[in-house]
Amino acid sequence: MNKSENNFKDLRQLLKLKQHEVPPPGYFNNFSDQVIARLQSGEGRGAETISERLSVQAPWLAWLLQLFEAKPGVIGGFATSLVLLLVIGVIVSERPDSMPNNILTATTDSPSVTSLAAVAPSDLGAGGGIVASTNPVTSLQPVSTLFGQPSGSPLFQSASFSTSGN
Amino acid sequence: MIMSEPIPIVDPTTPAGMLEIDLVKQARKGDFSAYDELVKRYQQRIYATIYHMTANHEDANDLAQESFIKAFQALPSFKGGSTFYTWLYRIAVNKTINFLKQRKNRQHMSLNDLDFNAEHDPDLMALISDKTPVREVGLTELQQKLNEALLKLSEPHRMVVVLHDVQGVSHDEIAEMMDCNIGTVRSRLFYARQQLQGFLAEYINPA
Repeated sequence: MNKSENNFKDLRQLLKLKQHEVPPPGYFNNFSDQVIARLQSGEGRGAETISERLSVQAPWLAWLLQLFEAKPGVIGGFATSLVLLLVIGVIVSERPDSMPNNILTATTDSPSVTSLAAVAPSDLGAGGGIVASTNPVTSLQPVSTLFGQPSGSPLFQSASFSTSGN
Repeated sequence: MIMSEPIPIVDPTTPAGMLEIDLVKQARKGDFSAYDELVKRYQQRIYATIYHMTANHEDANDLAQESFIKAFQALPSFKGGSTFYTWLYRIAVNKTINFLKQRKNRQHMSLNDLDFNAEHDPDLMALISDKTPVREVGLTELQQKLNEALLKLSEPHRMVVVLHDVQGVSHDEIAEMMDCNIGTVRSRLFYARQQLQGFLAEYINPA
């Protein structure tokens, strides 16, 4: 490092000239008064820009934004990687083998819809919960009731509504 | 007979006699007299740094005032992880760099005068009389060329040169102020000096 310092000895001597540049005489006499007067008048309160706030509170984010500004290629790469991640996520989520197994097993083991429909309401008893819905049944998991788990099956009954006349 | 000046007695209960940390605590509570003292302690250094970056007195005045105002507003977020001085510098550095980026192609210089001591600085005199091929070059012209050369540097490179070679701030402190590592500071300093040497070859290379 000393060698480097020696290489720039003349330059550093020249840079000393900057130390001799001084503001007009008396400039600092009322500088702090001006700052305090502006503060007391409430100037600048809430006028802080987002970038200024970021540079103090989250310098890493400010740095990232500055990098994007300085090198547009970086933002392109960043956006591409985000899109790739999104596409991979969509592909993985739509793979058939990613479906939960219990849905398939529950469908095969459960009684058919017609047999469910054939069960009389009286057979369900007081402990059985009747779930009536106009939506198709997608899950045959036991449904807990206020009185605990219902005994026996079927637990669900599909209900059909028909209007007479029309 | 030599008359010595009386040593001023500083009252530790007044802002002028208080420690920086106590002044910061008071200022956080909204005590303007405490903050006034903090401004007085750092106004010259903050102004000088911004002035050397912008080469414009009016811009430096505005930015220095705004830096102090912003620092006061941000005092509640000052956790004390660094010194108030470093934290204040960081605000001024960011504000100045943002300003310079916005006015990128609208740079005009408004240089301060050189003080009386410049004409008696042996280093500067030696530089002009011995090394400069253009012997009749004056300090004012040299000042003009030096500022033009500095303005050709990128903002981060200029900031490192200003802080280290002009202001005398250490590498460690610059790294903290500019939120980068010390290796980056050293490499920026080397590159900036190399560039400056190229821009000012006419004035600093031996004839």
